[in-house]
Amino acid sequence: MTTSEESARVEDEIEIRVGADPAQLPVLRAVANVLAMRRDFDLDAISDMKMGVDEACSMLILKAAKGSVLTCQFFPGKGEVRMVATALSDSDDWPDAGSFGWHVLSTLADEVDASVSPAAADPGGFLLRIELVKRVKG
Amino acid sequence: MNARGGYDHLAPLFVELAGLPEDSDERRETRARLVTEHMPVAEHIARRFAHQGAPLDDLSQVAKIGLINAVDRFDPQHGADFMSFAVPTIMGEVRRHIRDTSWAVHVPRRLKEMRLAIGGAITELSQRLGRAPTPSQIAEHLKISREEVFEGLEATNAHHSLSLDYLLTDDPDSASLADTLGGDDPELSVVDAREALYPLIKRLPERQQKIITLRFFGNLTQTQIADQLGISQMHVSRLLAKSLDQLRAGLVDS
Repeated sequence: MTTSEESARVEDEIEIRVGADPAQLPVLRAVANVLAMRRDFDLDAISDMKMGVDEACSMLILKAAKGSVLTCQFFPGKGEVRMVATALSDSDDWPDAGSFGWHVLSTLADEVDASVSPAAADPGGFLLRIELVKRVKG
Repeated sequence: MNARGGYDHLAPLFVELAGLPEDSDERRETRARLVTEHMPVAEHIARRFAHQGAPLDDLSQVAKIGLINAVDRFDPQHGADFMSFAVPTIMGEVRRHIRDTSWAVHVPRRLKEMRLAIGGAITELSQRLGRAPTPSQIAEHLKISREEVFEGLEATNAHHSLSLDYLLTDDPDSASLADTLGGDDPELSVVDAREALYPLIKRLPERQQKIITLRFFGNLTQTQIADQLGISQMHVSRLLAKSLDQLRAGLVDS
């Protein structure tokens, strides 16, 4: 049985919480790399996944409130890896779909989606979300 | 100087060489002529790597061996022209030499060999498949386990975090090589509208500009870009990541 024939299971899910700080990006990249590699993505797709996660999380970190937490979840599924990242922000100006980062992300990932919603009263602000899916080709 | 154009007249010789019987004098002569005539290419590449600290003489020797290998292995039936085959082959030989003689991070011998084998497999499989291989395909090709491939790929990453990443890009001359090797250049004007971005992209070394443009505005895969520029997919991947970092830093500053 190959990896791509396995169906998604809850125990495959991964959640990482890090400070919304660019210094944490290598950790997230490394996880993306390992997951894509073990899903037997081709080398281009592995690299795309890694850069896509890097780009999505960078975009989020740029907008995140000072000292906030970046939550990054990975859902390895059948022939794909989905990543959902969230962070709190003072602003609801999200996403900038005309930015270069967004363009890069749309090129790297098969699916990109972003949303913003009001956060809980304490500490307030907005919850920014970004999601990307990378699929096995063929 | 257009290095590629300068060697076009030798192309028919490769067809001739392929048709000559093994062990014939004509074959030896044709082969020798092809090697001799292409020698400036090997020299050029050796000089390019010389600022890494390795003695130029050594690099020239290694580059010449690479050239001879390239002449011997080149298949004119394959469609590609000799230069786009020879340049990566020679560069690969030179890089391997530099790596093997100045191995900065301690990587066990076994891994080091594995990494080289994987590198070779990637090149070969990419050519055969016309796209980047998966770890399973690499494992099957080398008759090793996927775990070993994973380990080898990780070791590759560790190694490439060295300054080798910057070998070509920080060389002010590198634009000329990129020009020589480049095919069609998709218009950068697609990004004209993105005012903040355009000057930043223009500030990148030329090779990185090209890679960014091909990947994000020409929609080529990394393997296709690697093919076009005559460098490895892993190198393209590193340059892309580096360029994005630089662009991002620039956008934050402005």
